[in-house]
Parts: sequence; C-alpha cells; structure tokens
Amino acid sequence: MNYWAVLATTVGIWVLLALSLNIITGEAGQPNIGHAAFFGIGAYTSAILNTKYGVDFWGALIVAIAVSALVGAVLGLISMRLRNDFLAITTIGLNFVTVAVFQTVHYFGGAMGIGGIQPPRIGGLAFGTLEIAGLIWVVVALVVILNRHLQKAWFGYALRAIRDDEAAAAAMGIDVRRYKVLAFVIGTGLAGLAGSIYAHFMTFISAGDFGFNISVTILAMVVLGGRGSIPGVMLGGIVLGMAPEVFRFISDYRLLVFGSILVLVMRFFPSGLLGQGSRLQELLTGFIRREGAGARVR
Amino acid sequence: MKTLKFGLLMISLLVIALLASACGNGAGNTQSGAAKTIKIGFFAPETGPEAADGTSAYNSAKLAVEQINAGGGINGAKLELVNYDDQLDTKQAVSIAQKLTTRDGVAAVVSGSYSGPTRAAAPIFQQAKIPMISAYAVHPAIPRTGNYIFQQSFSGVVEGAAAAEVAKNELHAKNVAILAIDNDFGHTLVQGFKQRAAQTGLKVQEPNWFHFGDTEFTPVLTKIKDNGADVLFMPAYAAEGSQIIRRIHDMGLKIQPLGTEGLDSTTQFLEVAGKNANGLVIVTNLNRDSKEQVVKDFIKAYKEKYGHEPDMVGASTYDAFYVLAEAMRKSGVTPDKIRDGIANTKNFQAVTGKIEGYDKIGQVIKPVQVQQVKDGAFRYFGEITDPAIITPPVN
Amino acid sequence: MLLQQIVNGITIGSLYSLVALGLTMVYGIMRVLDIANAGAYTLGAYLGVWAYTRTHSIIIALLAGVGGAAITGYLFQRAVYTPIKKVADPIVPLVASIGLFIVMEDLFRLIAGPYTITFPVHLPLNRLTLGSVIITGTQAVILLVSAFLFLLLWILLNKTKIGLAWQATAQDVETAMAMGINTRSVVAFAFILGYAFAALAGILVAIHYNAVFPTMGDIPSYKMLAIVVLGGLGNPLGAVVASMVVGLAEALVAGYIGSFLPTDAIAFLALIILLLVRPQGLFASGGDAR
Repeated sequence: MNYWAVLATTVGIWVLLALSLNIITGEAGQPNIGHAAFFGIGAYTSAILNTKYGVDFWGALIVAIAVSALVGAVLGLISMRLRNDFLAITTIGLNFVTVAVFQTVHYFGGAMGIGGIQPPRIGGLAFGTLEIAGLIWVVVALVVILNRHLQKAWFGYALRAIRDDEAAAAAMGIDVRRYKVLAFVIGTGLAGLAGSIYAHFMTFISAGDFGFNISVTILAMVVLGGRGSIPGVMLGGIVLGMAPEVFRFISDYRLLVFGSILVLVMRFFPSGLLGQGSRLQELLTGFIRREGAGARVR
Repeated sequence: MKTLKFGLLMISLLVIALLASACGNGAGNTQSGAAKTIKIGFFAPETGPEAADGTSAYNSAKLAVEQINAGGGINGAKLELVNYDDQLDTKQAVSIAQKLTTRDGVAAVVSGSYSGPTRAAAPIFQQAKIPMISAYAVHPAIPRTGNYIFQQSFSGVVEGAAAAEVAKNELHAKNVAILAIDNDFGHTLVQGFKQRAAQTGLKVQEPNWFHFGDTEFTPVLTKIKDNGADVLFMPAYAAEGSQIIRRIHDMGLKIQPLGTEGLDSTTQFLEVAGKNANGLVIVTNLNRDSKEQVVKDFIKAYKEKYGHEPDMVGASTYDAFYVLAEAMRKSGVTPDKIRDGIANTKNFQAVTGKIEGYDKIGQVIKPVQVQQVKDGAFRYFGEITDPAIITPPVN
Repeated sequence: MLLQQIVNGITIGSLYSLVALGLTMVYGIMRVLDIANAGAYTLGAYLGVWAYTRTHSIIIALLAGVGGAAITGYLFQRAVYTPIKKVADPIVPLVASIGLFIVMEDLFRLIAGPYTITFPVHLPLNRLTLGSVIITGTQAVILLVSAFLFLLLWILLNKTKIGLAWQATAQDVETAMAMGINTRSVVAFAFILGYAFAALAGILVAIHYNAVFPTMGDIPSYKMLAIVVLGGLGNPLGAVVASMVVGLAEALVAGYIGSFLPTDAIAFLALIILLLVRPQGLFASGGDAR
C-alpha cells in the first residue's frame, strides 16, 4: 500500500508540473525549457521557511507559490522582449543559474542540501504517505477544475489567440502583455505549489532534484500528451511519471525506451497523443461519437 | 464535447489501470522464491549519468552474493539479490525503498548509490526497521537517520583529517592548496582536513572549488601556481581528478598532489591520467598490496569475472555484503538480529581494511590506507591507525 | 597571470567554438535547436577511438569519426527533422532532438560500456614558455587545429557553390528558392557539415582529455545553445566570437574570482544579461527572425 501511495504521490507531482507548464507552453505557446527552476524555487522556499523559521507546511506553501509566481512574472516580462528560440534558451539558462545558486549559496543548504523538513500536519495528525498522496491528487483535481474554467473563460481564448498569432491577437485588441504575464504567473505559481508538496513529502531536498533533466521531462510530458489538452497533458504526466517503475522489467534499456518514445511520438504525432488534430485524437473522437450515437438510439 | 472529454478521461484511467497491472506483474517475479533464501535488497545508479559507478557496485554485489552462496550461504540458506536501478534519482530511490520494504520482503539492504538517493531512502528503511548499509555514500546525515542505518565508507571528516596527517608527516607540507569538488563529498573532506591542519599547525590556503563535470583546470591551476603551495589536496572524483593531474603535468607545476578515495579507480582514473599520475598519493580504504587473502581473492575474482580491475566503489559494496553475511551468521537472519549483528561487528577483516566496528551512530571505524601511484599502479605507502584521527565525529 | 589566463581562455574558447559551429550550421538552415548534435560529438569520439585502437592512424580515426557522424546527420535530417519541420511549432523538433540524444547516449553505454575509454594519441608538441606565459603542448595543438578548421570552414562557406548556397538560404529561404537554389541539398549539406564538425570537435576533445565516455556530450548539449545564441543563432563567425567570450570569462572567473558559480552557469548568466540588453544577441542572426 505504501508503495502505491508513494508512486501515486510522485506521479501526482509530475501531473501537476505538466499541467502547470501546459498553461505557459501549451496554452500561451511560450517555450519554457527551465520549468524545474520554479519547481525548485517552490521547494526551497518551503523548505527554508519550515526548517529555519519554523513555519508550518500550510503557511510555507502559500509563500512558496507566491515566490515562484513572482519570479515567473519577471520571466513573463522578459518574454516580451525575446523571440521564441531566444526565450527557450533563456529559460534553460534560468534553470542552470537557479540550480547553481541553490548548490553554492550556503543559505540554501549549499552542496549538502536541506534535510529535516517536516511533513504536513493538520492539528495533531502528521501526514503519512497515504495522506500526502490524497493531498496531491486533491490539488490536481482542483487545478484541473480551475484550468478548465480558465480555458472556457476569456482568458483561455486570449491565450490561444496569442499562441496562434500574436500580432493578430494584438490587433484584435487583446492585451498580449497582460495575458502572457498572467499565464507565466499561474503556471509558475502552480510549479511552486508542486515544489512545496515535494519538499515536505521527501523531507530532504538538494539542488540536483531540480536540474535541467527534470525540465526536459516535464516538457516531454506536455508535448507528448498534447499541448493545450488537459486530458492529454495528464496522460503524458501519468505515462512518463510511471515509466521508470513500469519499465523496470527492461532494466538496462529504460532510457533507450524513453528516448525512443520521444522521437517516435514527435515524428508521428507531432501535436502529441491527444493534442489538437492528432491522429489518435481524431480516431478516439470518431469512436466516441459513434458510441454516443448508439447509446442514444437505445 | 462533454462526452468526448469524459471519454478521454476514461481512456486515461484505463491506461493507468493497464500500466498498474503491468507494474504488478513486474514486481511479482521477486515475491516468490525458494524456501531457504534470504533476500537482500540493493540499489545503485546502474544507468544514467553515473552508470560507471553503478555498474561497478552492481557487479561487486553480484560477485559477493555468488561467492557467499558458493561457500555454503548463511548456515545453509542462500542469499538472493533483489536489485534495482535508481538512475541517481532521489524520487526513484524512495519508490524503490518502499518496494523493498513492503513488497519484496528483504531482510537487509545495501545501498550502492550516491548520497542523494541513499539519504532519501534511509528514513524508509529506518521506519520499516530493516537494516541498511550505505556502501560508499559519504553524507554525514545518512548514518544519523537512525539505528538501522550504517555507513560502510569513512566519514568524510575522517578521510580529510587523515589526508592532513599525510600532508604534514609524510609529504612534509609547508603550505597546502586545496582544489575540491563542490558537493557533500568535497565539503566534508575539506572540513576534516582544515580541522586537523589547524590542530597540527599546518598552513592551508582558502579552498578552490570546482563543479561536477568541469573539465578545464588550467585557469584555477594557474592561480594555485601563483600562490606558491607545495602540496595540493584534491578531493575529486576520477573524471575531474584525472584532468587536474594531467594539467599539473602539462603546465610543469611543481606541486605534490594528494588525492582521496574519489580517485581510487584503475579504469576511470589511472588509465586516463596515464604516467602523469606517478607519484600521486591518495588516502583511501583499499590497500591493493595487502597480504590479506580476502583482498587478493577479491581482486582476482573480480578481474576474472569482469575483465578489468576493481575500484573502491566495488570493493566497498562487496564488503557491505560480507559484513551483512557475518552479522547473519553470528546473530541471526531476521532484520532486527541482522541490525544487532552489524552493530556488534568487531575486528572484521574486509577488503577495505580491518573494520574495528561501528560507532553508536552507525559510522564505520577502520584504518585509513595511504597509497602512492608507482608505474601506473596504486601501491602501499602507509596506513593511519591513530584513534584520534580514525574515530568519526559523533555530533 | 592575466596574459596566461587569456591564453587559457582562448584555448577553452577554441574547443567550444568547434562544437558550437556544427550546431549553428544546422540552426542557420533549419531553425532547429538540435541537441542531438552533441550526440554526434560523442559518436565521433567513439568511432575515432575505435578506429585508432585498430589502426593506430589518427587520419583513419578522423575519417571514421567524421564519416560516421556525417552519415548519422544525413539520416537524422531525412528521417526525423525534415518531416517534422512541416509542423510550425519549433518545440516539436527540439523535443525530438532531445529524444535522439538520449537514445544515442544510452546506445553508447550499452555498446561500449559505462567506463571511460582512453584515447592515447601522443601529441607532438612540447611546452612553450614565452616570458611568464606557458603554452602547453595540448594548448598549442588545440589552437593550431582550430585555426585550421576555422579556415577550412571559411573557405567552404565562401568559396564553394554549396557554401554560398548555405549562406543565401540561411539569409532567406524563399529568396534562395526563387533564385533556383536547391534548398533540399543545402539542408542536407548543413546537417552533414554540422555533424562532421561536431565529430571533429569530439575527437579533438577526447584526445585532449584522453577520455571517451557515454555522457561526454551532456555539458556541450546545452552549453553550446547558450554560446550559439550569444553569437546570434545561425551565424558561424558570431559563434566563434561568443565561444571566445565565454572561454575568457570562465578562465578569468576561475583565476580571479574563484568558482562562485558552476562554470556552466557563467555562460548562461552572460547570456541572460546580454539578452536583456540586446534581445537580438551579440550579433544579428544568420537569418530572419522566424
């Protein structure tokens, strides 16, 4: 049971990260290959507040979201000035610089990392693995509801317009700057939230947990599942999040399989498994329609 | 539209269920087993960025289990290795630890991994009351997790202090420069070195730090050269250490390098550094010139089985299994008894030196070996047995 | 010490520029951030050391490494990048290239083993001392070989038909096509040359460090992106200058300030600061914004 709870927590954190990046990269179309930086900023903020200043999980969580979102807002403002590829590389740079700061600055635990982070508690009840798994999936559910709401609201239309054609969106009177920054704020804030839960789940963090390879994995989840599609991105997060455990039986070839999946999906489903206009999605849509029609006849 | 979304969600759930069942099947293999086997859990970074060390550790684990079983096992019962690859990922280490404790039913665990994954996994073993020996991870927090967690390698502080002793007494250093890796290994060793140097009045310059994966050391060595040191203490791993040694030679620097167990690898260090390594002194736990039969046998068996020289990582992992076997023979094969057995280890002759025992925190107490490179091989140079140095710090 | 550190920095910069040139060649044409180019760097080193241990000829080693990488580049372009490129979003080829890079690295480990292999070529030059400045044998070789390769690339791009076609296409694909340039062969040329250059760099670096190992492309894979952007994506001359800037910065930081940040972070920090001041990079790109 504990094993499943731990796996559910890990996968839940991945799904949350994928959903958060999806708002920036999938919906607003802004490349971000350094998302792990915000995951790390959330985790470190929470860990430091908890271990150095005795703030409990719930308080630390709020601050962690705020700090990540603030840094995200700055990146959002920078993104105004940079075209696509430059922004992509700037985000990589942000990831490296953030990790470097955690790794070298003594205040952030330096090379030794931060240990002794308290698990969340409510009243006298300290969260075990099961409760943390419950917490993360409740958060995922809330984020999905919020995200769907946003997609249907003016915010969602504005983001999609910006993604498809920024100049046209601006011409239509959409305040591009405002919506882009807002997408960054929400996306990075949610990554900070994931980071905070991660820190209190692991109880020990170090800079290596938030490296470039984590950013690549999050991006792969979003792109593989289907940019902009909430079920798609969740699927990407679940599949790639579980992959290390599921593929244990091929032990020595796990990375090979992971890399091959990325190449093949990009080659044959460039908009992701469940993204807009993907063959799989069309197939499924057709299938569901037919099923739906049948049900109505009966 | 609603039905579509709902359908997709259902399909995702189906995929999860499928994956979950696949997962269950994978783990099923390890659950059954012959009646008289004792399961020993093991994890190491066998693929991913540190696959070389992970492979050395896993190879040695297999060798140890094979040999223990060939020698009659533990009072007739065979050992079974339950192996996992953590890819140097702390999250995977946590899943693995949960799996080992709740599903695989192991009696004890050896970590063949680095500090990050080992430290993340340790609390889970402690909570499950299953003893774990960390083969070569040096982070001081690992044994402090609790009374079921033991550290097979020196505390970094001990190794650093031993290096300071060698610098002062054997190399007659007047002025020591430090070039250290900026991680838990480098920091604990530098801490130990500086403390001992301060006690014995050895002059030490401010440390220079480098980072994992750095390759170009000419600039920092240029700086070290201008600061006029006669000994260079370098807690580094093989990849970076071999480049430092090569550059020292290229630049014609007149400085005596003093390395650590991080360089103790023939394939990864000595071959890369080549003849530039001659004269280098290291503090480590493996004495390749040892007259002890276990050492000779291990080196020979490893070379026969895998076709290359064993390294410190392998030797430490191998020893962890033999410490476990000894504990099981003397004390019993349930997790609690194994724990007691490890804690009561006394003067056990292992490949990496004679283990005097474990202190109350679970840190190993054993002499530090000093080796020097001669004609492209590590040879005996000395041994440090002074209890003032080799007793690990308790707080 | 300053002069010495400048020499050190230029040597490091030369090594970087060899790797960066391959990447920028590909980007100039395809607008793809090709992480897998660093896989060609490792592939070149492995093929080179494989050929060298069998023949003891550095020429054959170079031919094997460069040839193998060039073929790989061509295959990747035909099988993966060109088909994907029809999709507008640049993130798709980027993720595909990350996948290719992961596959390549794991194949190296599975085939050649996880341990470091040595590349024991004896370099013919001795240490040079000019006043207070020391130029080591390897430094001299790197500087000479890089200078030669820069010259070679310059001739290729400026004096050959295909090279000029590359330049024209990098400037503006549509005009190039209208002018009757066969862009298909130019794209193939860019990949072949880009991967061949990466392999050359890989072999040289492997000899310099006497080490070939599966993950040797990790750091170049992302660090070169920073350098190539600094130099203006798709601009070979800019890539060389940016490499020198980063190499010098790393040497001077290590020599005077000490390692306050990991060296990789220095390149990226420089990049972020530069992009804030000059969003178009140190130099203008080889081509149009999109």
